[in-house]
Amino acid sequence: MADLDAARVPAWLDEHDIRWVKTESSSLDGLVVGKHIGRAKFAKTLPLGNAITELVLGYDLGGTPYLAWWDDWRADALGDIHQRPDLTTLVVAPDRPRTANVICDFVTANDEPLPSCSRGVLRTVLEQLAARGFAAKAAFEIEAMLFTDSLATARRRHFRGLTPMSTDVAIGYLHHNSRQQLAYIDDVLLRLEALGIPVEGWHDEAAPAQFEINVDPADPLTACDHVVRAKQVMREVAMEQGHVVTFMAKPSAEYGNGLHVHHSLTRDGEPVFYAPDGRMSETTSHWIGGLMAHAAAATSFLCPMINSYRRMVGFAAVPTVASWGEDNKSAALRVLSIEPKAARVENRVAGGDANPYLVLAATLASGIAGLDAEAPLPAPLAVSGWGLPPQGYPHLPNSITRAADTLEADTGLAAVLGADFVRYWINTRRWEWLMFHTTGGDPTAETVTEWELDRYFELT
Amino acid sequence: MDGPVNPAGSIVETEDDPTPIVLILATTLRRAEQTPKLAAMMQKAKGNVTLRSTVDPQAATVRFQRGRVRVERGVAADTHVTIATDINRMADDDAPKPRVSGALAHLRLALTISKVLEPPLGTWQQEAARFWAGAADHSGMPAGVRVVCLDDGTELILGAEATEFEIHGTAHRLTAVFTGGSVFGEDVLNGKLYAVGSLQHLAEITGRSLAFMMGR
Repeated sequence: MADLDAARVPAWLDEHDIRWVKTESSSLDGLVVGKHIGRAKFAKTLPLGNAITELVLGYDLGGTPYLAWWDDWRADALGDIHQRPDLTTLVVAPDRPRTANVICDFVTANDEPLPSCSRGVLRTVLEQLAARGFAAKAAFEIEAMLFTDSLATARRRHFRGLTPMSTDVAIGYLHHNSRQQLAYIDDVLLRLEALGIPVEGWHDEAAPAQFEINVDPADPLTACDHVVRAKQVMREVAMEQGHVVTFMAKPSAEYGNGLHVHHSLTRDGEPVFYAPDGRMSETTSHWIGGLMAHAAAATSFLCPMINSYRRMVGFAAVPTVASWGEDNKSAALRVLSIEPKAARVENRVAGGDANPYLVLAATLASGIAGLDAEAPLPAPLAVSGWGLPPQGYPHLPNSITRAADTLEADTGLAAVLGADFVRYWINTRRWEWLMFHTTGGDPTAETVTEWELDRYFELT
Repeated sequence: MDGPVNPAGSIVETEDDPTPIVLILATTLRRAEQTPKLAAMMQKAKGNVTLRSTVDPQAATVRFQRGRVRVERGVAADTHVTIATDINRMADDDAPKPRVSGALAHLRLALTISKVLEPPLGTWQQEAARFWAGAADHSGMPAGVRVVCLDDGTELILGAEATEFEIHGTAHRLTAVFTGGSVFGEDVLNGKLYAVGSLQHLAEITGRSLAFMMGR
């Protein structure tokens, strides 16, 4: 990837014989949106970047404009915002000749941050973390499901009855399955390498058709950029090979797709979560106390869709209780504190349908709020996190509306994430609820509905 | 958009985490509760009534029991009267007539539900003023709204005299939107109402319209 200032961009474009630049930004729902900008135009618009309609932040996954609230940053009668390129992400596209890709933040025409830009939200959280003397690293586990059918066939079938590129049996880590997926995965890995996205490894996962790619740890913004680009690559390679891939949280009754995220903190270069003798530092204690205190509210970001909550059932490798435990994979937060270079916290709540910037922003914001409030650390979960009684254990919200209501009541998390952004987000989640109920979703269905598959399978 | 509210003092309550149709029905019933005669009918009623959409899976069941009313999602197995209707067109002039089953066996219950689901409405001006009283203070709303009735040209100013937004429609459509019978933005998109003003105000009024419809 490039490391440029705007003045050196024309030379870089010449050097790599670039004719087109693909701008990549993430909507709140995690859609990758942007334009293909001609070389001259791209260079001319720097540093502010190209204009794009504000509607990219103003419509839902069904293409319906949000028309039940407004925000101050929006123009009175629709206007443009801008995609401000982050030139550290400028890279030669591995899949198209004479093309470069660049990740962008959404900003106003006056180059002010937009409260509804998910990458911008993470930036502000990281600034607050840095102001407290900390630096973070993060690594995501990307789960997906691959089917032999083409996208056209899948659409025609409303994403039902597809053929997994694996055995039908729900066993993970089978090389029998990996071999079937190899041609696809090899292409994906080559393209990720060309994009500068380092991969630790990959393996077959528990559900039929499912596999997981583990991306190397990086600074939080880069880690999220890698997820956004990796998911896009995985979609594109599937399309090119005549297959279809999904990150939908729960496309069937089998295990769902998660987006587990590991994070570590350092202060003055020292690992904060490292506790060789098992005694947690006060900082770690408050940090994890914050993650616990705001876990229910953060669920709105980690499980953003109607379908996200179908994944949150016991004994399905998904936490259902706000809990933490040392190396406990049934807890919401799996704490690993023994190895100095690997001391970290894994948040296991997020679904594959979540926006990675918001997953990490909500996670780190919870920790920051915990530090500021000197949040007490609840007792660790030393038992299985599944099958627990409703009383005595803080269950995570189990619907999009309950999560939104919980977030609305959590002023501590909003203070770090930004009140304007949180208000806008809550509106979008209640809108998603309204769309489900009023455009054909069946709230009494006990299995995944056609409405969910049509809305989420291809796009989340 | 606002979260749900179960107001104190009402005999009407909803399930936890209610669906939109549950909230809309509960709001209508609470409106009926303001009329003493209808409130008495609800308190005396016994049995379960289901309202089911004929165009999508939306459904809710109203349970009258021991002087209280509870609204829940879905078609209850123990329902006595079922009303099937196109819920998207209930406020239309030419709305299709609902199909009712079970009414003959449960006449009193059927009569009660027919009355309480259509509580008495004021004039469009009265309903507009009532809507405005609950919506005007919401952030982002226009300071003043000029409402024009297309039937006879009568006008009403809501809020400040220097209006920032106009709503034009027939008395029927104006009454529907100001009583929560339809959604403002949807009516404008479908050409049932007309608006003059910014998209911001259109959106904010739509948000209030939805909130009003769902009792928030």
